[in-house]
Amino acid sequence: MSRSDLGTDPYDSVEDDRWIASASASRGEIDSLLQGAGYRVCSTDLRHVAIGLEQLESAMVGDQCVASSAEAIHYNPSDLTAWVDSMLSELAPDPHLPRHPHITATANTWADPTQQRPSLHGLENHHQHRSVPAVSLQSMDEEEDAAIRLVHLLVSCADYVQRGDSEMAGSLLGQTRLALARVNTGFGIGKVAGYFVDALCRRLYPPPLSAAGGGGSAANPEILHHHFYEACPYVKFAHFTANQAILEAFQGHDRVHVVDFNLMHGLQWPALIQALALRPGGPPLLRLTGVGPPSPDGRDALREVGLRLAELARSVQVRFAFRGVAATRLEHVRPWMFQVAPGEAVAVNTVLQLHRLLGDRASPEGGDAAAAEPIDTVLAWIVGLKPKIVTVVEQEADHNKPSFLDRFTEALFYYSTMFDSLEGGRAGGSHRGGHHHHHHQQQQQTVAEAYLQREMCNIVCCEGAARVERHEPLARWRDRLGRAGLRAVHLGSNAFKQASMLLTLFSGEGYCVEEADGCLTLGWHGRPLISASAWRADDDAALPCDHQTLLVLQDHSSSVTSGSNNVVDGDDHHLRQHSVVRNNDTGSGSSCSRV
Amino acid sequence: MLPEEEEEEGEEEGRKWRRRTAFSINDNVDLLAEILGRLDGRSLAVAGCVCRLWSAVGCRDSVWEAVCHRHAAGGSGATRSVVAALGGYRRLYRLCIGPALDRLAGSDGAHLSLSLSLSLSLFSIDCYERLGGRQQQQQSASLLFLCKPVDVS
Repeated sequence: MSRSDLGTDPYDSVEDDRWIASASASRGEIDSLLQGAGYRVCSTDLRHVAIGLEQLESAMVGDQCVASSAEAIHYNPSDLTAWVDSMLSELAPDPHLPRHPHITATANTWADPTQQRPSLHGLENHHQHRSVPAVSLQSMDEEEDAAIRLVHLLVSCADYVQRGDSEMAGSLLGQTRLALARVNTGFGIGKVAGYFVDALCRRLYPPPLSAAGGGGSAANPEILHHHFYEACPYVKFAHFTANQAILEAFQGHDRVHVVDFNLMHGLQWPALIQALALRPGGPPLLRLTGVGPPSPDGRDALREVGLRLAELARSVQVRFAFRGVAATRLEHVRPWMFQVAPGEAVAVNTVLQLHRLLGDRASPEGGDAAAAEPIDTVLAWIVGLKPKIVTVVEQEADHNKPSFLDRFTEALFYYSTMFDSLEGGRAGGSHRGGHHHHHHQQQQQTVAEAYLQREMCNIVCCEGAARVERHEPLARWRDRLGRAGLRAVHLGSNAFKQASMLLTLFSGEGYCVEEADGCLTLGWHGRPLISASAWRADDDAALPCDHQTLLVLQDHSSSVTSGSNNVVDGDDHHLRQHSVVRNNDTGSGSSCSRV
Repeated sequence: MLPEEEEEEGEEEGRKWRRRTAFSINDNVDLLAEILGRLDGRSLAVAGCVCRLWSAVGCRDSVWEAVCHRHAAGGSGATRSVVAALGGYRRLYRLCIGPALDRLAGSDGAHLSLSLSLSLSLFSIDCYERLGGRQQQQQSASLLFLCKPVDVS
């Protein structure tokens, strides 16, 4: 089953914002993909729902006076089957309603009205042209007007939310949903607007069982991330660029240590292991410390990833050791957990992680707050490790502005560009392979969208410590990292060539790699969406490492476990010698690491 | 005998004689391997369908090694053992180099030359994904969703 089985997007609805609890969908298996989006539909009912939604759309779009029905009773759309039936019986009692076997979508473009962004004319070739029934023919202008109106409504609604006027916000949300019905929600602004409407709704009326992080879906974040990895080139670009910088920084060192702030499935590291295996002069001893959240179900996910990487390293004869550090929040991690040995070249790798350490920005005039944010502590000990290279990959957007409205508007345009790239980029590969392949890509895209939806929800719905998606643009990161004592390392032409080749291989036209002052950015149609940069500790500015300080920092808070997951592969002897050295020096068996 | 049959018999004799002393590539397997190694990937795969011998020779990793090195620049002495560990040159071509070349030919990136190091990076990720594929979904998409060949390996 895939979303293409449905006639139209489930967000195509005329609906007020209050959920009225209704009987849950019962017999039969619930479709899991839709469930992730918040809809409970039986797999067996999908066809019926699809036909119903088509009829509903033709009924509503053709019938103008449906727009403002204030006294209609609305049903909970998460039970899609019942909802569709009830709406149809209300709106279209006429059994002779023309049946349209094809979806009533027209291939159209959405021109961004408020910013200078090129219209998505490139997408026209990729959309499946479907037959346009005479009843619901919409001109290009109407569609654009509807899109513009939709954006205006969304922004005004967010404005009311910011002011705290939930009544006005609620009624505007209702109007927004009506406007949503006039726009094609299969792609472009319609699709992304649907997610934002839901997020605003969630903010206004938090659901009783609120999911952690406001994401809503109970899906494993690693699986979502993996699908996002496959569906678009952003994470691959991040990994390959960072690896290139790390490889260059490790030249000439025969003991190297990589610290990864978010291990996930460890997809970044096979390529580095392979490159180290083939480097002139032979591979070094590689140690990898992976940080990640503790596994909920008792499995040691970090260790499993470490074992797989060790197996790969063993097969290509690279001496490898792995350590996992489980931490619920990044600021709980302490440098002693990495046990950096003297003489090792250290690389710190953070892909889309540093922004989680930021706090609320003060007022716009005040610039950066004087209050200590977790980021400052973490940057301080990163510099203290005296890394040869620190690779930083971050989203290129400002989603940490103090004003909710500014954040909302920025996020709206950022994620609509992201979604466009998901849609347009995948079309590059779809001419190969068959029907089955196309379905698979569609499915992957849907899950990738779910991954992005979590981020969006976090930006819109959460505040304070719960809001972790505090993206900031490259310029601000440059300032911050510079102040912490790091100096920029130019990424070089190899990285640029590699990134360009990667894009040519993987994606459709539309993606662009740009070089900005030694950093690389990847964007869609001229709008940079992700940036990769490399830094090294400035030798003068690096803080001298203090045994005393480290001992003080050695807190045994329960939220962090430093697993002794040393998967030693090969040179056991070598590592044992290290610990002997450490013990002699400190005099006691403390696990304090000398840096 | 009729004159036509006599002629045919004579021709028959000639053919048999020619077959006894003629050169057959199938008797010189190394030479065959050398020649096949100069083909491009698709032709080599097609050549593997000629007969069992050609199929066996066409499966040799050394043949595919020659093909890979001709299409992707780079590589050093240690490359062979690493590639062997990750799955072999034939697999490398099938999964990484072949689809990449097709993609480059299709787009306007024909001027770009594929580097072996990039292909190897992608190959290593594929090998890694297969390592963990036991408990996870078996149809996990390969890194290159350029084509989805039926896995007969």
